[in-house]
Amino acid sequence: MSDSNTLGELFARRGVSRRVFMKYAAYTASLMALPPAMTTAMAQGLANARRQSVIWLSFQECTGCTESITRSFSPTLEELIFDFISLDYHHTLQAASGHAAEEARLAAMAENKGKYIVVVDGSVPIKDGGIYSTIAGISNLQMLQETVADAFAVISVGTCAAFGGIPYANPNPTGAVPISQIVTDKPVINISGCPPIAEAMTGTISYVLSFGAIPELDHLGRPLAFFGETIHDRCYRRPFYERGMLAKGFDDEGARKGWCLFELGCKGPITYNACATQKWNGGTSFPIQSGHGCLGCSEPGFWDKGSFYKPLSAGIGDVGQYIAGAAAAGVALGAASAAIARRRKNKAMREG
Amino acid sequence: MKLESIPVHVTGSATGMAGAILTEIAELLEQLADNNMSGAIDLRGLPMTEEDRIRLEDRLGRGEVSARLDVAGMSEVWETSYPGVWWIRHRGGDGQIAAEEIAVTQIPDILVSPEEDVRAAAVRINAELYSTETSASEEEASHV
Repeated sequence: MSDSNTLGELFARRGVSRRVFMKYAAYTASLMALPPAMTTAMAQGLANARRQSVIWLSFQECTGCTESITRSFSPTLEELIFDFISLDYHHTLQAASGHAAEEARLAAMAENKGKYIVVVDGSVPIKDGGIYSTIAGISNLQMLQETVADAFAVISVGTCAAFGGIPYANPNPTGAVPISQIVTDKPVINISGCPPIAEAMTGTISYVLSFGAIPELDHLGRPLAFFGETIHDRCYRRPFYERGMLAKGFDDEGARKGWCLFELGCKGPITYNACATQKWNGGTSFPIQSGHGCLGCSEPGFWDKGSFYKPLSAGIGDVGQYIAGAAAAGVALGAASAAIARRRKNKAMREG
Repeated sequence: MKLESIPVHVTGSATGMAGAILTEIAELLEQLADNNMSGAIDLRGLPMTEEDRIRLEDRLGRGEVSARLDVAGMSEVWETSYPGVWWIRHRGGDGQIAAEEIAVTQIPDILVSPEEDVRAAAVRINAELYSTETSASEEEASHV
């Protein structure tokens, strides 16, 4: 449950100085490309914040998103996020089960009315009354509607929650829909990816905690700090693309020399995510560095855009409209931006 | 298994980034000298190769002050051979560099004792002194 003490007071009781906030803020500011000068303000915001109640709902998902956030590479520093929040409900991680677990969720909602954050991974099936996925005797749809009623904000983690993901893929037998299609009266932040990068999740939560506001979002409701540029824009193989040096097969000379994977189906040019800069496993590598093209997993409808191995130049789905949408998108702050983003995203998904 | 123990390492050549950063540092240092305005450069946000980093570190050198902080992993802070130019390197618990910046300032914020901690320390030390004095008085009284 949330504590009435500030995080600064909680850490002081453990004998930890406020320098811990300076260090964490420096780390987060760097992740989110915030000016280094904001570190002190961010640290102050964190120290004065209270533990944020978080209710994590898992619906039609594979637990990959939870795996990603709990396997973040740099322990001690990144794990601090679990000191900053009070994770009051999470099927996979909580010790309680059955009625006790549900009581914890309801108690957290009552105690933190209007202040708690709901994190959702997985899409919600709505076909046939939502019977295809139920928890504690109620449908995912009912649980989501009940839980978000008094939430401050909703964070959809993973492509399933953000855009429907794999359950939403043709023929979508369960009538899966993304969270933003159900939650329309409060800010919804989308952190897409299959799974999303752990730092994008922790960085976004830290930003909300520090500044009490929602970070700048793109037209699909994603934090610009992590989704502001395409994989292709920041790819270390980009210079090869500019020179027309493209691998033609996974075992040819170009592939061995690390040339661009465009012709092997890489979706980097139309995929907005931070894989090329943040990378995975503590900055060790990312799919393109390992020799495979980007699948475009952080974009709507990625599963239905045809072969992963067909080049974009051959035409895949409605790729052009996403590029046009991204180029034309404006950026706004807070709840208003989230609402605009939601409308645009729904349009993009309907047309997709 | 640690990342460093894998016997394959990515190498990269210098890109000239070190020189560009030095120019920016020179500008920030001038602002500090003339207007007492601090500034910082986030090194992790720049596309630097390992060679770039080594060149920049060599070029800036080391000055008289250095500090190590054990907070959520180790951090190292040192003043370079240019007074007012500090190198701050934060590591996570696994020893990997998590954040790194050049701060151009009189003293980096992370080295200054936070006000709230100083206030709490004042309360604590007085409470401890009072408690020691009380115990000593009680002990003396028991011998009388």
